[in-house]
Amino acid sequence: MTAKRLRIIALLAISTVFLLAWAFPIVWSVLNSLKTDSDVLAYPPKLVFTPTWEAYRDVLFGSGSILPNLLSSVIISVGTTVVTMLMAVPAAYALARLRFRGKKFAGFYVLATQMLPPVGIIIPYFLVLRNIGWIDTYQGIILIYLSFSLPFAIWLLVSYFEDIPFEMEEAAYLDGASRLKTLWRIIIPQVRGGIAVTIVFVFLNAWNEFLFAVVLSGNTVRPVTVAMFNFVSVEQTLWAKLAAVSVLAMLPVVVLGVVAQKHIVKGLTVGAVKGGGRR
Amino acid sequence: MATTAVTSAGIASEAPRSDFGRVLAQRERRFAAALLAPAFLALLATTTFPLLFLVYTSAFRMDLAMPFTNGFVGFENYQVLLSDERFWTSLLVSLVYTGSTVALQVIIGLALALLVMDMKRGQGWFRVIAILPVVLSPAVVGMIWRTFMLAPEFGIVDFLAINAGLGSKNWLGDPTLAMVSVIAIHTWQWTPFAFMVLLASLASLPEDIYEAARLDRASAWQRFRRITLPLLRPAIVMVVIMRTMVALTAFAAIFTVTAGGPGTATEILNLYAYRKSFTELSIGYGSALAAALLVVTIIISGILFAMRRAK
Repeated sequence: MTAKRLRIIALLAISTVFLLAWAFPIVWSVLNSLKTDSDVLAYPPKLVFTPTWEAYRDVLFGSGSILPNLLSSVIISVGTTVVTMLMAVPAAYALARLRFRGKKFAGFYVLATQMLPPVGIIIPYFLVLRNIGWIDTYQGIILIYLSFSLPFAIWLLVSYFEDIPFEMEEAAYLDGASRLKTLWRIIIPQVRGGIAVTIVFVFLNAWNEFLFAVVLSGNTVRPVTVAMFNFVSVEQTLWAKLAAVSVLAMLPVVVLGVVAQKHIVKGLTVGAVKGGGRR
Repeated sequence: MATTAVTSAGIASEAPRSDFGRVLAQRERRFAAALLAPAFLALLATTTFPLLFLVYTSAFRMDLAMPFTNGFVGFENYQVLLSDERFWTSLLVSLVYTGSTVALQVIIGLALALLVMDMKRGQGWFRVIAILPVVLSPAVVGMIWRTFMLAPEFGIVDFLAINAGLGSKNWLGDPTLAMVSVIAIHTWQWTPFAFMVLLASLASLPEDIYEAARLDRASAWQRFRRITLPLLRPAIVMVVIMRTMVALTAFAAIFTVTAGGPGTATEILNLYAYRKSFTELSIGYGSALAAALLVVTIIISGILFAMRRAK
């Protein structure tokens, strides 16, 4: 066997180990979610079994259904995304393209807010929201989620706005278009791709958030990341159901991640260069 | 309107001289202010205000369980903090957790990026699979590892350990193993991030330098030490900064797996502040801990950004 051959085999082995290590916990959860309770508990672990939708039927339509929690997650994530984008797109445009005093400071402020540790500000959120009766409400959680989604979205969008050539705007102004019209008709269509990537990131981060949700949610508004705790208790763990809930919680973000795969890598690197990026 | 274009294009770089120019510059400022106002008001309300409020509450004794003892105490919480052994332990746990996870992510991520870069086929597999852990919620990841991977005599890791002759281990019940486990989980989830960013930077390095090096008969190790590493340095430093900030603020992946236990073995500073405030309901002291966390974050990010500027 030549040295080259050995090298290729070693490469293949290392690659397989890492790919397996990353994929396995996710694949294993999917497999467990399709087992009966007795199959889950089988030892040694069963790779071959008769799949059943039982666990999904139970967690979706049985007593203690997690459908309301999935709905909570959707409302929170979509709400956060919409509000964030409405505020971040104009702000990013101003930071990237307009001249005004204090611009540098404004950019630094956005960057600094992004570094705030969430545990550092959860106590004031809790006290204030409790005072105004916004604990366990959508408006409360969405407002607080702006603290991490806005700085990230602004920085990511700035990098996309900076890529557009200035000539495009000039031509529009020469035609007598107003600033707002130019922004809406000329600039925004140019950064459609960047806006789409930002939407994906903001949605992912809102869907995955846990600390704020755990403290600020309640019986009315409880996202699925928090609700999954109900399936693990000291007395017993409902293994198959827990697996089914995990898979349901992973499904939207995994689909988004795989579909937007190329853009996510770009978003991560743009963030890396600009110093943005969270989680 | 023609002049507007010139101003916005930044061609008129010196201050506008005519009255007309001044009016246009003022208009641009007003437009910028209108566009920035909603986002900045929201950021003031959700970041700056809570921060000031936190400093305020840290000067009070605020016990939700015993409200009759509440009141202004000045710096007392901070004095208690300095002699609080649990605080110093949690700070140490935080530093160990952050240091080890970031080092592991960068080393494994870089090695893997170098390896995959040389692959002629199969890069696509890595790109798709590496996305998976990164997009997941740390809470879900923690839950899956705690149960299906690490549960004694049930999880796959324990199954592998038994078959390897190591015997069943209490992965989350033993203080040392629990720390190793939470570090491994964080590394598992975020190494793909370092890998993807470093792979993208590797792909953007100029090919001709390597050609020249090959002609000069530089060995693979020399090429790595002399060319790849220096060119990759900015990307590596950026990854270190981003991953450090995230590891320092990690919460869900430990909370869901060990909740800081056993005892305080995996209690990072974040978890201590959380437990003090929301489990033991001492909001005032919890605020002081959160403020300390903030100071630690500022110091560490200051050091990292200084590193970035230094050659």
